[in-house]
Amino acid sequence: MAERLLEVVNLNKSYGALQATKDLSFSVQKGHIHAIIGPNGAGKTTLVNQLTGDIDSDSGRIVYKEHNITQLKDYQRARLGIARSFQITHIFENLSVAENMALALFAHSGHNFRFWQKSLHSSSIRDKLPEALARVDLAARAEIPAGALSHGEKRQLEVGMALAAEPELLILDEPMAGMGPGGTVELSKLINALKGSVTILLVEHDMDVVFALADMITVMVYGEAIITATPEQVRRDTKVQTAYLGEEA
Amino acid sequence: MNQKNRKISVIAGGALLLLLLPLVAVLLEETYFISLFSRIIIYGLAAVSLDLLLGYGGMISLGHAAYVGIGAYVVGIFFYHAQEMEPIISIPFIMHGSENALLVLPLAIIISGFFALVIGSLCLRTKGMHFIMITLAFAQMIYYFFVSLEKYGGDDGLSLYSRSSLPGLDLSNDLHFYYFCLFLLIGFLFLVKRTVDSRFGLVVRGGSNNERRLKALGINIYRYKLVCFVIAGAGAGLAGGLLANQTEYISPGLMHWTLSGELMVMVLLGGLGTLFGPILGAAVFLLMEETLAMYTEHWMVFMGPFLVLVVIFAKRGLFGLLTGEQNNNG
Repeated sequence: MAERLLEVVNLNKSYGALQATKDLSFSVQKGHIHAIIGPNGAGKTTLVNQLTGDIDSDSGRIVYKEHNITQLKDYQRARLGIARSFQITHIFENLSVAENMALALFAHSGHNFRFWQKSLHSSSIRDKLPEALARVDLAARAEIPAGALSHGEKRQLEVGMALAAEPELLILDEPMAGMGPGGTVELSKLINALKGSVTILLVEHDMDVVFALADMITVMVYGEAIITATPEQVRRDTKVQTAYLGEEA
Repeated sequence: MNQKNRKISVIAGGALLLLLLPLVAVLLEETYFISLFSRIIIYGLAAVSLDLLLGYGGMISLGHAAYVGIGAYVVGIFFYHAQEMEPIISIPFIMHGSENALLVLPLAIIISGFFALVIGSLCLRTKGMHFIMITLAFAQMIYYFFVSLEKYGGDDGLSLYSRSSLPGLDLSNDLHFYYFCLFLLIGFLFLVKRTVDSRFGLVVRGGSNNERRLKALGINIYRYKLVCFVIAGAGAGLAGGLLANQTEYISPGLMHWTLSGELMVMVLLGGLGTLFGPILGAAVFLLMEETLAMYTEHWMVFMGPFLVLVVIFAKRGLFGLLTGEQNNNG
């Protein structure tokens, strides 16, 4: 029996009359790539924000490594090893690519009240920085402001920053959004290479990517998890087909 | 790296100008320039400290004059009590006044920093427009507090009769005072430059751009912003202490929001987040005031459109125009 890294129990969040997540329950096994799919408006991003602590849950429990983290703040959860990428790219546009990566590396090596030494020369990251940049193919772009990167490169940087923290759970919120076919292939390769070393919760629209990468899939419809199963089972499930294709006679 | 060289030459040129200016002024027998440029240096120092908040920390403070004023009042109050031979406080311990710059200037820095710590810890719980208004509100509260202090002249303020004393230098001599201020400005710039480039500075600059991302990385920005706010407040306190010396006069006007606004204009003119730019901004602002005020008391009529043009056409202010720099802080 594989170890359970994350367990979500009866999670709820509503915005006025709109129930974004509704008694949502599923669990993620350690080492898996666990995908969350669902039609637009199914509440996938709300779920991600609830997991990372960006928004508070109305009720329900989030259990991570046997600890109830439902009440913890976003930065506290990050310190426990939960890293994320955002659906809309969130990087520090005013800082250079290297500085972006350095910040991500710093976040997990002690406090930041160091006023004297130049940040990029700091001994705690000097060795790791080139490696972290190389992992996402950005070593050659280290000096330029992150805001000047192409869309795909920004995505790579963001995933790289999430990885720099050496997380145990990596939450990727639609990493392929807005990417061309080339970029999708690149990023898929990167995610596949991580398989086994880090548990990944992948929220994604691109079905080819999901079915190629995922070990388990949870399908969300109107805030509810209608099934959590292997890709094979999901593909055959009639409820899923109905949800995606509509009620057909 | 042509642009880097250009930036270095602009900074070196500015430094050389400030270093040699008093000598030229003495030769031309225009010693008035020495006191004018002392003021520019002091306002420049205050503007650099504000740039730390506006340009690097993304904290739009409209109450920065409060710390300038507190610094000035620390110097002024110690001076007053030294003159009157009367202790400032006698309970629980006796504290006497002093004219010694080595005591009163560090105290101006520490006390302003302390006020920034208290005020900042409350203000930084808010964001955006609320932050702007609450910093303004605190500054105005302090302004009215000092207006009500009859002992120290209330609304009219206090004249100091002389400057602080410093072993080895005569601060009453405008030339000595000028170089003393310049020395402190260079020291402050050096410290701020190191801070901005450090790991701490990276966190603060990152937080100003994308707080949510920083939290997702596991960094709680609040404490870093607060320390940045304290450093800026302390720097403004030093500027205030020097200003009290320069004009030999303190008044609550130093805490008024109009001075906060003027400092902000200096930062914007010189270039947001350029570190050296605000000094240029202070120079341009005060020189314009000085020359235009000879022709009309409504000199702001010219200043306003000039500021608008600079803000629209030069993203990094006048300093950015000189160095050809477009973005990337520092």
